Amino acid sequence: MRFFKSLLAAALSGAVAIAALTLPTQAHHSFAMFDGSQIKVFTGVVVRINPDANHLQIFFAPLDEERKAVLRNEAGEPVIWAVEMGGSAAVARDGISVNGFPPGTIFSTGLHPLRNGQPAGDRGSSGLFKCPEKTPPAAGMHCDSVEGSTAHGEGVMPQEGALAEEYNPDAQ
Amino acid sequence: MDLMAIAQGIEASGIATAIRDSIYAGPIINVFHVIGVVLVFGTISIVDLRLLGFPGNGRSLSLVTHDLLKWTWIGFAVAAVTGVLMFTANATTFYINTEFRLKLVALALAGINMFIYELITARHADLWDKDVPTPTAAKLAGALSLIFWVAVIFLGRWIGYTKGFNFDIPVELDLENLF
Repeated sequence: MRFFKSLLAAALSGAVAIAALTLPTQAHHSFAMFDGSQIKVFTGVVVRINPDANHLQIFFAPLDEERKAVLRNEAGEPVIWAVEMGGSAAVARDGISVNGFPPGTIFSTGLHPLRNGQPAGDRGSSGLFKCPEKTPPAAGMHCDSVEGSTAHGEGVMPQEGALAEEYNPDAQ
Repeated sequence: MDLMAIAQGIEASGIATAIRDSIYAGPIINVFHVIGVVLVFGTISIVDLRLLGFPGNGRSLSLVTHDLLKWTWIGFAVAAVTGVLMFTANATTFYINTEFRLKLVALALAGINMFIYELITARHADLWDKDVPTPTAAKLAGALSLIFWVAVIFLGRWIGYTKGFNFDIPVELDLENLF
């Protein structure tokens, strides 16, 4: 019985320690894989969410400049990008979840692209805005300009291109 | 049977949503999964080593298994329940993850190895219970068990490093008729 108590105590203290370590919801790995000096801005349509405990990822089909159809590659296939952010529990507090962003949801955000050329990036400190259902923004605009859109988390829609200062999440 | 659709259904369930949306559920489930795995490997590896003759044959095999295997099963139950919960929260990503699939294969092989040992090899285990070298089949069972369980742990940990940006899941949304 004493053994059971010791086992339980060890298990509980382990659980509490890990929970405490995970409380700061910052990125758990280096940011070096992302190009913090660049930012790409998208308005796109959610195709899937990977609700990973460490980093939630939204896979999306970017809309064209007219905001009337999805971007396609030279072969005519839709282009798919992915944006990574905080852990699923952390961003759920901002309303970003599997249920809150079902396939077909139109949203806008910015991302620091991967350095390896994959079509994906980290949201960094960009704002994230959701358009009302089936209501894309006007040509060249983003969801933050659409009446009835919702902001999810902090930040504003950034400007596309090179940043004056490299993004460093540790300096936040 | 569309396994991806089943995975999507599991991921959309209430319990999956509750685990994902909780700051504490994920890490606590993960900790108990590790404790379960440690209990399984810690106890089964002592039995496996005894089958291999380490540190010797002086300790009764039936006593070693009697003392330890109940803890193996308790650990396995903890690991299985917590593993299912972790899978639930992110079923589609686990489903397409190669390392996750290989881990299930390694688990199945560990199970098959155990059944062959229990049903065939160990039928006359009383003949080599103590102070007698174990037969080759028993040594093989012990060695395979160690290999399969190390593989389970290795692949389990590897999952965490490979379920990054995965573009392999087919897009099911009709992108032609969005608006």
